[in-house]
Amino acid sequence: MNVLHAVIDLETLVYVGAIGLVAIGGLGLVLSNHLFRMLLALGMAESGANLLLILTGYRGDATAPIIGYGPVGAPMVDPLPQVLVLTAIVIGVGVQAMAVSMLVRVYRAYGTLDIRELRKRMELEVSAAAGIPVPTSEEAPAGERPLPPVPAYRRGHRHVGPGES
Amino acid sequence: MNHLVLPVVLPLLAAFLMQPLARVSRLAARVLGPVVLALCALIILRLWLNYGGAPFVVAIGGFAPPLGIVLYADHLALIFALAVPLFTLLFWPGLGDRSSDPGHGARRDALVLLLAAAGTGLALSGDLFNIYVFYELAAVASFGLASLSGTSRALVATLRYLLLSAFGSVLSLVGIAILYMETGTLNLADLARVAPHTLEGPLGLAAFALMVIGFGVKAELFPLNAWVPEVYATAPARVSALLAGLVSKLAALVVLRLLVLVFHQPEASQLLLALGVLTVLTGELAAWRARDFPRMIAFSSIGQLGIVFIAFSIDGDIGLLAGIAVALHHLVAKSALFGLSVRWNGSLEALAGAARTAPLAAGLYVLLALSLIGVPPLPGFWAKILVLVGLVQGGSALELLALIAILLVTAIEASYLFRVAVRLYQRGKSPPPGHAPWDLGVAMALGAVLLAATLGISPVADSLRSVARQAGDAGLYVDTVFPKTVARKD
Repeated sequence: MNVLHAVIDLETLVYVGAIGLVAIGGLGLVLSNHLFRMLLALGMAESGANLLLILTGYRGDATAPIIGYGPVGAPMVDPLPQVLVLTAIVIGVGVQAMAVSMLVRVYRAYGTLDIRELRKRMELEVSAAAGIPVPTSEEAPAGERPLPPVPAYRRGHRHVGPGES
Repeated sequence: MNHLVLPVVLPLLAAFLMQPLARVSRLAARVLGPVVLALCALIILRLWLNYGGAPFVVAIGGFAPPLGIVLYADHLALIFALAVPLFTLLFWPGLGDRSSDPGHGARRDALVLLLAAAGTGLALSGDLFNIYVFYELAAVASFGLASLSGTSRALVATLRYLLLSAFGSVLSLVGIAILYMETGTLNLADLARVAPHTLEGPLGLAAFALMVIGFGVKAELFPLNAWVPEVYATAPARVSALLAGLVSKLAALVVLRLLVLVFHQPEASQLLLALGVLTVLTGELAAWRARDFPRMIAFSSIGQLGIVFIAFSIDGDIGLLAGIAVALHHLVAKSALFGLSVRWNGSLEALAGAARTAPLAAGLYVLLALSLIGVPPLPGFWAKILVLVGLVQGGSALELLALIAILLVTAIEASYLFRVAVRLYQRGKSPPPGHAPWDLGVAMALGAVLLAATLGISPVADSLRSVARQAGDAGLYVDTVFPKTVARKD
């Protein structure tokens, strides 16, 4: 146990963990195609950032920043990052709640949360609304399979379908 | 001077009063937003008229910096603080809304007011975490506005925008955490004092990179700008005008403040230059391929913002001057173009013959296109030539590359903007209907501003030069926020 402490102290470990969480979240956002997983990855990255923010005020030998809590004159943890992180957490929760509510509406409309398929449908709809004829024939790279028509079961009467993966 | 707080506070207050007020009186709720914004514009205007030329500071709640939050007003901040309520009024999304649902209107107006409050806050705030909070507030308001039409495609576009923007915020939060770890302060002026001996290393550069990429989401900067075409194609045209014209410039202003005050190392400028070149190239090439009007001008706005960041990366006052000139020019010209896209929202083919139904709008389009490309003597030319001169003076390999990139995209811009201009004057079977008087009037007024700036180019250039000099003076910023230190030194 003491050997482990000598090699990596707890603070470094938590630092690595915080940066790692942000990295995992970023990778998850890039690699995943499922909107809900992307949202989870975003949540992870946010907790990593919040952890890092808390760590900026941390001191191993200090007490909580409350007057009269520890011995007089003892070093205290910097309270400012704790205030900041509270704001950041609240903002993060609000944004995620908004994202989830939109996620539900998107799923009801398209029956899938696969971002690739959603983007294709969105492009088609935007082009159709703008009055551009058959955009995929020119814009899609050669050899790609043409977009299949919207299956009937995804149109609304069944919400849980193969689109959920 | 304490009035400076009002343009941030009043729209916030009105936004949250909107819902209860809408239950009592629909008319009062409808006029509340425009009245409050007009009041804010008047307050800023009065401050500006009384403004003696020296920047001033308001400490919120009387708490002294660096712990307290300050609002910092110099020329540049006041210009943008005035532009926020003014442009929000000009492109008021609720205009001409005949919806029968009163709740919908109130919700929309509340979001617009939140955006205005956050925008003014971004322009004025002198505290990094405060800027982050205002940035998030603007982001959340713009998510709501972008999905305003309620179509499912708008929801998909907004959801992707939300994910990108939220991840950008995480990155900037990490950058802020690194800054705090290294310096122990988040007040911009305090940061400016300690930055030279604490932020020189790679860690400081990493913090800058994270914050530029994070705040670059709204500024349409390269890696995280994939949301731009989708959102502008699906959001209401007036909302697009606000996001592309106003909010992107405010994010650019934040990056400018960071660059001037906190990050002086040459690597930071080089990073910004590289990102700017990539932004310009990708934006303009995509605009050339776009086949509908809203997305074409959306991509073109990415390109223009790339030029702004290239200019900011140039050393010295000329870079700031060029960047501010391009940004203000783009604010006026691109907002007017998005105003035209209220009616011209279809494919480029469908615009054929529009000069018959809307001769004024077509003429205005040609004027705006010429200025965006940079044809002398229009203001766009002077803005662009300043960037080019600055790049030549810099003279490094990367700067010459940027110079070539700008010249190249100017040719591309000319190609796609004129393609549309030709189509406007062609014979068309079913040209789009003419514009509503208000939209056309706003666009005409902005076009008139451009023309007036053309005629009075030398006074405009002189005043912009003093604006840039003031914005680029980090010592002045510090001395204004901490006047006592100066006295102690003497």
